[in-house]
Amino acid sequence: MTTDSSATKSSVVPAADRKGPPGWAEGLIGQLLAIALSLVGGAVIILMVGENPLHVFATLLRGAFGSTDRIAGSLLQATPIIICGVAACIALRGGLFNIGVEGQLYLGGFAAAWVGFSFAMPPVIHVVVAVAAAILAGCLWILIPALFRAKFGTNEVVTTILANYIAVLLTSYLTISVFKRPGGWSETDPIAVTARLPQLLPDSRLNIGLFIGIGLAIGLHLFLRHTSAGYAMGAMGANPKFAEYGGVRTRRNVFLILLASGAVGGLAGGVETLGVHHRFMEGFAPGFGFDGVIAALLANGNPIGMIGTALFFGALRAGSLLMEVETNASREIITVIQAFIILCVSAQILIRRRSGRTGERRWKF
Amino acid sequence: MTYAIEMQAITKRFGTLAANKDVTFSVRRGEIHALVGENGAGKTTLMNVLFGLHQPDEGVLAINGRTVKMDSPRTAIALGLGMVHQHFKLVPSLTVAENIFLGMEMTRNGLIDRKAQSAKVAELSSAFGLHVDPERRVMDLSVGIEQRVEILKVLVRGAEIIILDEPTAVLTPQESRDLFRILRSFTEKGMTVVFISHHLTEVMEVSDTVTVLRDGQVVGTKPTRELTEDELVRMMVGRDVSFARRERQPANGGTVLNLSEVCARDDRGLPTLRDVSVEVRAGEIVGVVGVDGNGQTELAEVISGLRPVSYGTISLAGTALENADPLTIRKSGLSHVPGNRLARGVDASASIASNILMGRHQTAPWVRRGIVRWSYVREQAGKLIRQFEIRASSERALVKTLSGGNMQKVVLAREFSQNMPFLLIDQPTRGVDIGAMEGIHDEIMRQRNSGAAILLISVQLDEILKLADRILVMFGGRIVGEVDPESTTEDEIGFLMAGRASSEAKVAS
Repeated sequence: MTTDSSATKSSVVPAADRKGPPGWAEGLIGQLLAIALSLVGGAVIILMVGENPLHVFATLLRGAFGSTDRIAGSLLQATPIIICGVAACIALRGGLFNIGVEGQLYLGGFAAAWVGFSFAMPPVIHVVVAVAAAILAGCLWILIPALFRAKFGTNEVVTTILANYIAVLLTSYLTISVFKRPGGWSETDPIAVTARLPQLLPDSRLNIGLFIGIGLAIGLHLFLRHTSAGYAMGAMGANPKFAEYGGVRTRRNVFLILLASGAVGGLAGGVETLGVHHRFMEGFAPGFGFDGVIAALLANGNPIGMIGTALFFGALRAGSLLMEVETNASREIITVIQAFIILCVSAQILIRRRSGRTGERRWKF
Repeated sequence: MTYAIEMQAITKRFGTLAANKDVTFSVRRGEIHALVGENGAGKTTLMNVLFGLHQPDEGVLAINGRTVKMDSPRTAIALGLGMVHQHFKLVPSLTVAENIFLGMEMTRNGLIDRKAQSAKVAELSSAFGLHVDPERRVMDLSVGIEQRVEILKVLVRGAEIIILDEPTAVLTPQESRDLFRILRSFTEKGMTVVFISHHLTEVMEVSDTVTVLRDGQVVGTKPTRELTEDELVRMMVGRDVSFARRERQPANGGTVLNLSEVCARDDRGLPTLRDVSVEVRAGEIVGVVGVDGNGQTELAEVISGLRPVSYGTISLAGTALENADPLTIRKSGLSHVPGNRLARGVDASASIASNILMGRHQTAPWVRRGIVRWSYVREQAGKLIRQFEIRASSERALVKTLSGGNMQKVVLAREFSQNMPFLLIDQPTRGVDIGAMEGIHDEIMRQRNSGAAILLISVQLDEILKLADRILVMFGGRIVGEVDPESTTEDEIGFLMAGRASSEAKVAS
């Protein structure tokens, strides 16, 4: 019983018919459709709590883009999502699924803060060492899932999800029991001024992390497009058996790709503590890692597209603050809208699988 | 005159391209009607229209003289149509009877009545000479028997008109003959058979009437006895095609590939290759035949480094390569056309150029200092598209938009253009048109004549007979015989393929 049927059968459908719009346009249409449907879903929920959806959405918009400060607020929220999105894109494009970005973010955040408040160093060097610590922590946090995946084929989705819980609780423990600031909240001592990331605007916590994120996304895009290693990685993501056959060292690369993804996840945490909070606080970055993963998925693993979706998620988060103050709609509406988006995206992936349009990217859910 | 099937002036368009243009296809009750044509000629579309999977844009359909609107396969089954697909849809862990009655179990007091099911299967088996044991598990059956189970599934659902899509692709010549006997018993009982094939010898042997499709149109419908095989090919392809054995110089090069006593295990850890020894010399084509699933795939995998070797040695151009990784083996001189091109041979979502790059993505001048020189890659891809006559809009065309034959040419173009001393070619023309097949065979012969050592694995016996200098027959993971293509017969190879040679030989001696 051969498995070659798809080739023989599909040849009946004329080639011209299967062209459709180019890949990226198709992706964009899908994204916009997902977002539009989700807003409609959100509107229904808002109606159910007795609010006017138009008013709520208008407030949301105003909260996100109403003034320079608010735009800065949106960008501030988007920054960790972009960096986490890059982490997720790296794995996705290599045919892997790192859902543990959240955990790597927590560990990276803690490691950077620890370097920030424990040591005295000259300005630039302090930042560099703290960022390096964040990257290293992210790497370490994905080391076991990466090794297991490469050695035994253990599904990385399961292992990285499990690592998330450990990361959140471990950093909580370290913050409350070991490094707690006397008399303060569940947070560590503030980091030294020398370890802070430069800010972009005088009255905002928006910092160069935004450019780090955008730079990484563009870098990943160029890497995939123009380098030999990026080509091999993309081939692994598109058809791992083809890559293996063509001489790509898939086992070794699986390990390296996951490590790189974890490193960027750790960096996201470092940027957040060094640039925004200037200390480590328990639960300092709720859901940024997951938002990054969703932003990457929504963009089909394309880092440039991911910047767009991450900015959208950032704006939603920022806008929801004003929405909560001025209307009766709770901030959780945003979570509802995001959940709708996830549903739409997974439905699209399913539909594409059904109609046999994939065989392309293999994400293991 | 009563017709079981009348399809009149059927047109089915996909977008702008018509897969069926004004097709009239009539099948008399009680005949075996062969539907032949190359891939993409519209056979499958026509059958999908008949079976209610596609709605025709124009045309009328009648079953047993009554005009019907075939809106779903359910309607088709209710009207007495049954389709036996090329790729079986059976549950290996269930028994024959359980598979046959899946979804329509016979029940008594709300419980499955196994006895009644088995009795019904036994009754149908003996009525049609389809001998199967209803209590056996499907996973223990051979492919030929599995096909009988598929046919029984259709019969149990009351089919009187049976459509078989490429039924002999996975069978030995002997199993095919058994199948034809069964098909004959159907028509003797007044049932009707539609037989889709591009294996013309069989069509000549078994059918009463032939309809030929080309480019979505009917070229002609004729009684089989008024046709010769050559005429049939001309109708299918639109020109003469030679099936003669290719001319060749004697091969006398040195050993390039040497496998000695190689053993390997399959994915479940069971032995799949046993003591396989093969030698391939420069300038010769060694053919490997066998029924699908007798170790040929695994043989290709151990040679190319995709499956570990548990015992034995492999050397390529003098380098020991057992359990080396695919990259090392490629660098030592392997080009590999994999048996399942969609699974291994291409990245369907990428462009032709990107597919051509695979395997040389670390080699200058394709890549310099880690940067892919896409302009060079595209230029080379463009050259290969012209050289191999790949029908595509440009080198940027996505591989998934190509037909099966053109996809295969992309794989061949990539592998053959590396000018490696050893070519491992697995199923080079699976799912490829007769017209395109010739071009592929020409290319393989060109590689042979320029001194490459070639191991050619194919389930298509005529292809091996046409191209190979020596033929090895595989059965149950072993090489059970070597025959000379100049002097062997299909029967001799067929017996070897069925694993019956040794006992037969003993009887003879």
